[in-house]
Formats: sequence, structure tokens, C-alpha cells
Amino acid sequence: MPEKTPPPPLSDALRAGLTVAIALYLVGLALCVAGNSASGSSALVRTVKSKLFSPWMTPLWLDLGYDTRLTHGLAEDGDHRVEIRRLDDPAAPEPVILPGPAMHGERAARWRRLAQATAASESDPEREGLLPAAIGQGVFTPWYTDDVSLRVLRHLPPDRRDAIDGLADVGGRVEQAYAARVRLVDGEVQLITSTPREELAPLVKEPAR
Amino acid sequence: MKTPARVSAASSITASIGATWTRFWFTPAGPWPLAVVRILGGLLALALWASYAGDLETWFGPFGMISPALLGAWRSPYAVSLFDLTTSSTGLLVAYGLGGLVLVAVTIGLATPVTTVLGAIAFAAILHRGPMLVGPADDVVAVILWCLAIGRSGDSLSVDRLVGAWLGRSAPRPSVRTRIALGLLQVHAAVIAGAAAVAQLKGDVWWNGTAAWWLAARAESPLVDLTGVFLQSEYLMNLVTHAIVFFEIVFAVGLWFRAVRRPLALAGVVAWPLIGLLAGEPFWGLALAVLSVGCWPPDSVPGTESGATSVLFPPIG
Repeated sequence: MPEKTPPPPLSDALRAGLTVAIALYLVGLALCVAGNSASGSSALVRTVKSKLFSPWMTPLWLDLGYDTRLTHGLAEDGDHRVEIRRLDDPAAPEPVILPGPAMHGERAARWRRLAQATAASESDPEREGLLPAAIGQGVFTPWYTDDVSLRVLRHLPPDRRDAIDGLADVGGRVEQAYAARVRLVDGEVQLITSTPREELAPLVKEPAR
Repeated sequence: MKTPARVSAASSITASIGATWTRFWFTPAGPWPLAVVRILGGLLALALWASYAGDLETWFGPFGMISPALLGAWRSPYAVSLFDLTTSSTGLLVAYGLGGLVLVAVTIGLATPVTTVLGAIAFAAILHRGPMLVGPADDVVAVILWCLAIGRSGDSLSVDRLVGAWLGRSAPRPSVRTRIALGLLQVHAAVIAGAAAVAQLKGDVWWNGTAAWWLAARAESPLVDLTGVFLQSEYLMNLVTHAIVFFEIVFAVGLWFRAVRRPLALAGVVAWPLIGLLAGEPFWGLALAVLSVGCWPPDSVPGTESGATSVLFPPIG
């Protein structure tokens, strides 16, 4: 076997350039992790990241926090799904639920994320209503309709202790995380959100003293 | 005023840091670990890419749910996607098909210097086209693809190598580019594991030992049903919960110690998929297992390239 020669060493200039590039990327990575946390970020981190690193790390899909928490046992960590029903046809079949029973794996997971993002975005003033309107609008053409209702349902697992004590079903329960009617009126998409029932309950005022 | 002893100590520390940095980033590395990462990462990227196929038109089509108007309001102003240019169903299908072909080329190692870059661009493009559909596995695979684009990932176990051998070219030498790519994979493996552990520890369920229950009791995500087991044994549930966090921390820190790096990389190949299975994020687990492969101590001695290349694809003639 012929003896191989070792590769020529890098020149000092090239090594210095690479060192700067790697160090710069590592700083960007650290700022992305610190700046994309679900806990928020400081003004300093946000500003430095958005001015110096986001412009080139975002297009590469590298401006990420990697904070995969898996679960915190909260309602928002449950499995979500979207339910869409057409309203302009009383004889319309059952509502479409996404992900459907035939969807599995990552395809179903993407639908669950879409449903979760729909519910979560309603507490974000900058994104409120965007996804529900878009989802509703997305079915107008293929369904030949201009009036649908949209619900986001989420599955709430039971507390383990309650399941053992028989206070809750092991299968958990389903609650409505979001509901709205989406319709097209004169070419404009209208979103009519349904107020959660508990918010309609009368306020109990303290008795006058 | 600095004494000569202090100056000497400071320069010694600086020299030591410099030597460690140089050894970590610039010692030429053999090609096979990155080649294995290319094959496994390419397969994962293909699987994630394929998960869009059934709903491509529903999401990204001309009348799709995720319209350009929605993206304009949703995405970062710096986000761009090649898929933004597709305004018809045919254009969308062509772009999607081409992207899939590029990822096939990455996986088999065909024209890798070009296809790895194109593959990373295509993958980032589809993620930017529907950011609300993206999961943690997509993030990790995006990182893997960029690292493949940086290193010489086609130097081994590839069509490129086969063609090179057929043309009588000698086996590629260990490369600094490959070493940098492997170094970046290791950095990301540690950061991703560490960030996951930190994010988890913000929640009470990871401290009181019930997180495994909340993961297992979800309706659709889990691929294995462990609720019955966890209902029977609280201690087992606690053990699984604490073991996940413990492993993530040990993995993130231990990768930086030469003595345990190899066993940790091996453990990662087994443990991450199991965590992903329980968490209902199997692709995330698999992607981290691929990162673990990238953390395998590289064959870094110049001139002694790993046997994988010469055994599988010996030079012809």
C-alpha cells in the first residue's frame, strides 16, 4: 500500500480567518439560544442578535433556540387538532378533523403543530386571527364554500393521581381551545370568534358595605 | 505592574487555549464519520421532506392555507424561501420534486460538494414556507445539512467516491473541512441537549417526576403506550423522567471530555431515539442520534484514513 503524505498544513492567514468565522458563528449560536427562549430575552441580547446575526442566520434556518421542552404538563402541551365544518349547507357531511385518522407520523404531527399554533397565536396581539382566517380561507376554494366554522380542540391528559383514584378517565378529555366562524363577504374574509362560555358568566360583585 | 511570573502564566494559558482550539478545529479528520452522518441525515431529511407530500397543495398551493399574505405577517423580515417564488401548483410540485431529488443525491453522495449546499438551501426553504408546521426534528436536520455542506461528506461511502475510484483517483486524505464540520456537529449536539434540559427544568413536572406521565398520556403523539406501566409504578415514572434530564445534561457536558466521548456518542445513538419515542417526537430522537454519530471521535491522524473507504470502495486497478 503506498504511503500517504499528510495534508499540507493550513496557512496562518487561512487559519486566522477560519478562527474568526467559527468564533463569530459560536457567538451567534449562543445569542440565538439565549434570544429564542420561551422565557423571553433581554433587550441587549435581542438587539445584538437582531442587528448582527439574524440577518444571515435566519435565512439559513439557524436562528433557533433549540428549547425543546417536550412537556410542562400544561394544557398547551396536549395534542391539538383542527375541526372545520361548512356552514352554508345544512346537509353537509361531518366536520373534517385534521389530522385525520388516516394521517400518521410526521404528517399528522405537522397538522397538530398547525392547530397548536392557531390556538397559541390568539394570545399574541401581532398574530391574533391570522391563522384561523388563513385556514378557513384555505378551504373556501376546494370546498366550494364561503362560510365555515373552525374549532381547535385539545386533548387534556388526566392527572395520574386522579386517574388512579378514578376521578378522571385515563383517556383524558377534550376541550375547545379556540372557535371561530370564517366567512367571505364581498371578497373580504371575516373572522367571528366565539367567546369562551366562562367569559360570558356574569361577574359576581362583592356586596356593598 | 505585572510581574514576569504573571506574564508567563498568562501566556501559558493563552497558548494552551490556542493549542486546544487548533487541535479541535483544525486537525484533519478522516471522512467516514461525516459520511455516515450524511447517509443517515440524508435519509432523515428525506423522511421529513416526504411528510409534506400529502398536504403540499393544501398548505402551500395557490389557494393554500399558508398564503404569502399570512407569511408576510408571521415570519421574520429576514426569512426567505425559494418556495415563495412558486405561484402555481405545477411550479410548487416541480420545486418540491427537485428538492427531493437533491436530498436523494445528498444521501447517496452524488456530486456532494454541490448537492449538500443545495440540499441545505432546499430544506431551509421548505421550513420557511411553513414555519408553523416545523418541529424540533426539522431544526436539528437543518443543522446537520449545513454541516454536511461545510465538510467533505462525499469523500467516503458515496457515489462520488465510487466514481473517483473507478477513475483511478487515490482515496481522499483527511481534511480540515471535515474536522470543522464534525466540530460543529459536536457543538450543536451539546447545545441542543443542554438547551432541551434547561427548557425542561423550567417546568415543575421535570422536578416532581411526572413529566414521563404527561408525555405518555397524550392522546395521539406517543408511539408506545406506557400509561399502564406508569399508573402501576410511580417510581418507574419518576426514574424515566429524571433519567431523561440526567442523560441530556451528561450528554451536553460529557461530550467535551475525551475519556467519555466515545461511550456517550454510543449511548446517544440508543438513548435519543428512545426519548423521542416516548416524547412522541421520534424524528427528533433520530436526528439527535445522527448528531451523536457525528460526535464519534474522528480518525484524525493524517495519512491513516479510516478503513471504511478503502474496504468498501478500494481503488480499482
